[in-house]
Amino acid sequence: MSNSDAANSLDDELAQLVQACAARDRQALRRIYDLMAAQMLASLVRILKRRALAEEALQDVFVSIWQRAAQFDGTRGSARIWLLAIARHRAIDVLRSERVDLYREADVEQMAEPAMEGAGDWSSAGRSAAALARCFAELSGEQRRGIELAFVNGYSHADIARVTGEPLGTIKSWIRRGLASLRQCLER
Amino acid sequence: MRHDQPQLIDALASEYVLGTLRGAARRRFERWQSAEWHVATRVRAWEGRLMPLALGLAPIAPSPGVWERIEERIRSADAPPAPAGRRARARPALRALAAVLVLCAIFAGAYVAWRMTEPLHLQTVATIKGAQGPVVWSIQLDSRREHLRAVALAGAAARPGHSFELWALPPGKAAPVSLGVLPDAGELERTLTDAQRAALASAAQVAVSLEPPGGSTTGAPTGPVLFVAPLNRA
Repeated sequence: MSNSDAANSLDDELAQLVQACAARDRQALRRIYDLMAAQMLASLVRILKRRALAEEALQDVFVSIWQRAAQFDGTRGSARIWLLAIARHRAIDVLRSERVDLYREADVEQMAEPAMEGAGDWSSAGRSAAALARCFAELSGEQRRGIELAFVNGYSHADIARVTGEPLGTIKSWIRRGLASLRQCLER
Repeated sequence: MRHDQPQLIDALASEYVLGTLRGAARRRFERWQSAEWHVATRVRAWEGRLMPLALGLAPIAPSPGVWERIEERIRSADAPPAPAGRRARARPALRALAAVLVLCAIFAGAYVAWRMTEPLHLQTVATIKGAQGPVVWSIQLDSRREHLRAVALAGAAARPGHSFELWALPPGKAAPVSLGVLPDAGELERTLTDAQRAALASAAQVAVSLEPPGGSTTGAPTGPVLFVAPLNRA
């Protein structure tokens, strides 16, 4: 089975599980937890910095999946992406309410670490990830760094400006241009 | 800010998914995408583009006990009258007060944010769906009520050899006025005639009938009426 077949069959399984959650099947939610919780927690920890806060957010994410399962429409997109998006949006909401202080809480080591631990991991996510990896490689270093810090670490424009020492306007334009180039490349 | 420019919508959707759209702008955009299907579509497209970035991180197994807390929370959320479970019993008066204050703050913030922007150019005025099924069409009008857009949603299914036609239902015994055929998939936009605008201004409901391809030729519904939906005047 190729990586992209594996990604598709995981997606199919997740889609069925989300539908089962809509029918109030708690075992299905548990199975989603087994398949996705560790991946979600990785994102939540990276954005929220504190593990306890991230695990609390993970609980919120699963309660939210349970409550919103009926809104998932399998014909309009991947279940895996739908689930990851719930986790990311929750993380950003928590950032807003907790006012996580990135500069007091993030250890320097973690911030210096590259955001992505290798393109090998992406390939398990199938063709879309391979395409993103290819297009990401075409961006300028600054655009790539800006998008990574925002997406993976949950940094705001102002956070990125502070971390990189560049003016806010420059950061906004790196990100804006980077996103536009990504879109263009992915549509080729 | 103009909200009917595809490029602007796309740029906002990309920064929303990236996470750099923050504060009041983020909340405003969230309301907008849950009200407007075409905005939600852009968000989904950007989620599809960027989400693989989240998969590059090494997974972290949650601590033991996290699942048990989730189970406990969904059990108490599903239990019929809410005040069951330990969380809900803790200092109920204080919790209620906090909830009221939070709601007041959210509504005040949302109201101020809302007033600071121009009204949206396209607003959903009717949502057409069966008793239980998913939404079939979203009907939208611009603020001057000159252009109508119909968007086919999850429940839409073509009936070969037929068209679906939208009607404004004026009050009393006045005849329904055709607003044109509806798309089987995707969306259709049209400029309304004066007669259609007048009918919409007085109507409280819209209906959908099944017609020959291209719509009724008599000016009145000829096939069965499949859906009736209230027309929102907001």
